[in-house]
Amino acid sequence: MKKVSIILSSLVLLVALTANSQTSGKLVSTKTQIGFYSHTSVEDISASNSTSISTINVSTGDVVFSVPMQGFEFEKSLMQQHFNSNKFLDTKAFPKAKLKGKITNLSEIDFSKDGTYKANVEGELTIKEVTKPVKETGTIVIKGNTIEVQSKFNVTLADYGITFVKGKPSSNIAKTVEVTVHAEYKPE
Amino acid sequence: MTPKTKKIVKIGAILLIVGLLIGLSTAYYMFNKPHRDTQSAKTDFTVTSTQIVQEYLENNAAANEKYLSDDGDSKILEITGTVNNISEDFNGLVVILLKSENDKAGVSCSFTEETNDRAKTLRIGQTVTIKGVIRSGAAYDEDLEMYENVIVEKSNVLNVK
Repeated sequence: MKKVSIILSSLVLLVALTANSQTSGKLVSTKTQIGFYSHTSVEDISASNSTSISTINVSTGDVVFSVPMQGFEFEKSLMQQHFNSNKFLDTKAFPKAKLKGKITNLSEIDFSKDGTYKANVEGELTIKEVTKPVKETGTIVIKGNTIEVQSKFNVTLADYGITFVKGKPSSNIAKTVEVTVHAEYKPE
Repeated sequence: MTPKTKKIVKIGAILLIVGLLIGLSTAYYMFNKPHRDTQSAKTDFTVTSTQIVQEYLENNAAANEKYLSDDGDSKILEITGTVNNISEDFNGLVVILLKSENDKAGVSCSFTEETNDRAKTLRIGQTVTIKGVIRSGAAYDEDLEMYENVIVEKSNVLNVK
């Protein structure tokens, strides 16, 4: 009887350890899509970017997104050139934007169990070397070894020194743009 | 109005309309200017995946200066390397990672609707040459705690060894 219980408890321990090794540590995503959408009465502008890389540390809740700015694809090539130019995002001088945050409700998310979880993230967003605090919510869908994250939040361009005082951009580009994030993670 | 002034006014009006038409059509063309075709564009640099990764890891600023353009239409590269990984993005486009075993980072190339079928025929371990536009360079990121690859988009496969 004693023998059986020892075997059983070591089995339980083994299962716990393997489960743990699958879910602790770092998740990496190179399959990402970051979009932004600007709406004004004159014009709607949208762009999409599939070049970002992101990590989530499931034990600390750290979330990082590194976004190559030249990866934003616009419908019109002229808009894309304006976006990249030194009047706007100056992507040659500032090739990457970064989001660094922490999941503040980590205890409510069980990365080892399939399900849909709401994640609150607080941190900072750096665009053109200007860093501002951000607070956003996202949805995490866990299905086996695949973890999908979706989020939507607003960015006020002037916060990052991106301002348009005159001409077409000032009337055609919204002061606040909507950013959507979609990423699929795998354990590293 | 004398016939002479009438004539001048008429010519002036015609010139004005023609000028306006040219101006408007130029503006219209500029506004709807198509994206650069990366495949018919001339190749700016021919490199191996190892070479360009090394260039970026040695001096990021110098490499950005060399490869990136102000307006986002950055340099067109032909990169030769070993297929290390094959995946797909959310748009269903193939993403090929060219990376040598001993390198810290590689070159991640994504394709287009037109070139996707060709990319699907590639297999891990093949040595290939891919042409596309560079979007960003390789670097070690201390927040990600990992190396980021060189990113190339709008690619096509030029050669399979």
